[in-house]
Amino acid sequence: MSKMARSKKEKQTSWQRFCTWVNGGTAEQPLLPAEPAKPKKAKAAKPKKQKAQPVRKEWMGLSRFEHIYRICAVLIGVVMVGVLMIAVLQLPLFGSPDNPSVNEVVERYVEKGLEETGAVNMVAGMILDYRAFDTFGESSVLFLAVTCVTMLLMRDRNNTNKEEDLLTAREHVIEGYEEDIILTKVARIVIPCALVYGVYVVLNGHLSPGGGFSGGTIMGSALILFAVSFGMIRMSQFFNYATFRKITSCALMVYAASKAYSFFTGANHLESHIPLGVPGAILSSGLILILDICVGIVVACTMYGFYALFTKGEL
Amino acid sequence: MENVKIIAGIALIVLGLFVYVTATFGLFRFQYVLNRMHAAALGDTLGILFVLLGLMVLVGFGFHMLRLGLIICFLWLASPVASHLLAKAEFVTFKHIKSECEVVEK
Repeated sequence: MSKMARSKKEKQTSWQRFCTWVNGGTAEQPLLPAEPAKPKKAKAAKPKKQKAQPVRKEWMGLSRFEHIYRICAVLIGVVMVGVLMIAVLQLPLFGSPDNPSVNEVVERYVEKGLEETGAVNMVAGMILDYRAFDTFGESSVLFLAVTCVTMLLMRDRNNTNKEEDLLTAREHVIEGYEEDIILTKVARIVIPCALVYGVYVVLNGHLSPGGGFSGGTIMGSALILFAVSFGMIRMSQFFNYATFRKITSCALMVYAASKAYSFFTGANHLESHIPLGVPGAILSSGLILILDICVGIVVACTMYGFYALFTKGEL
Repeated sequence: MENVKIIAGIALIVLGLFVYVTATFGLFRFQYVLNRMHAAALGDTLGILFVLLGLMVLVGFGFHMLRLGLIICFLWLASPVASHLLAKAEFVTFKHIKSECEVVEK
């Protein structure tokens, strides 16, 4: 019983030490927890240095950790290379007739795509109708990525110190004080054009090359240009973290709901009640237009979010 | 008439490429940042103007000509501003700028 309690206690302390180590460690606490099974060499060599300099011990532990880290990195790299090489060897020969890339799916896409999806742009028909679930995953990955970056880089109460606060305050003052005339004049001309062009690319996604991802990137670059030229303060007047969260999650939910509807009706052989329209018209091809708009919004917000978080640490 | 058009277009594109070659030489031969930027900006504006004018002559009247004109407009707006900002950053951050060029005090 007592042994167990002791081991538990020990475990806890080593866990705590590990926590401090993960959080960066301090001068008082050792950077690395003492390892239970030490190699004999290190044991023999250590005591002298340990007494001489306590800092030395930390350094020794860290260097050993780096040693293991490097060996592990090389091992993992070799294993990954081996797995990929084996996978490449298993691939079918280039151009052989029974490859998976030459099966009936491609024919179906080319021959019946226009009729079934109503999209003149075949790529849009493919990624937003036949493979819409895949695209949903892509936009969710973007959203997840920006969420993780927010967790890591967002400046809030727990992630700032006084110096940084002073620095940001000074930056704000500079931003409010000094505007580059040339940049702002040109930005006034370029930003509306870029936004309109981005909207055009998104709305025309099912008719011409383009679509949610490219159009969203253009709109995002317009937002970034606005933030660069007019400063974060004016940007945050109409686009802050709350709006970002609302807009992005709403777009993703609309995407998920509309696609779930079409999956449900398709799987149960029901009529979907969504008119496909005349191919070539702007209001056609059923859900593709809506999905394109959702993807465009998510991508634009993500682009701007990455910029803002990586430069200023705020949104 | 068709031949003249093609020859004129090709001549303009070759002129633009010549400007680009000059700009690239300048970019690699100059030592100081602002000199190199000056050379690079030459290609970004004059070179692109000649190449796109040549393409406009080649495609003839129509929607494509308008598009190329819009590209010229955009590049002439965007590229000089980018150069200006780079030069400003160099001016603000480089301590010994007076040893490299004349500085007009405000």
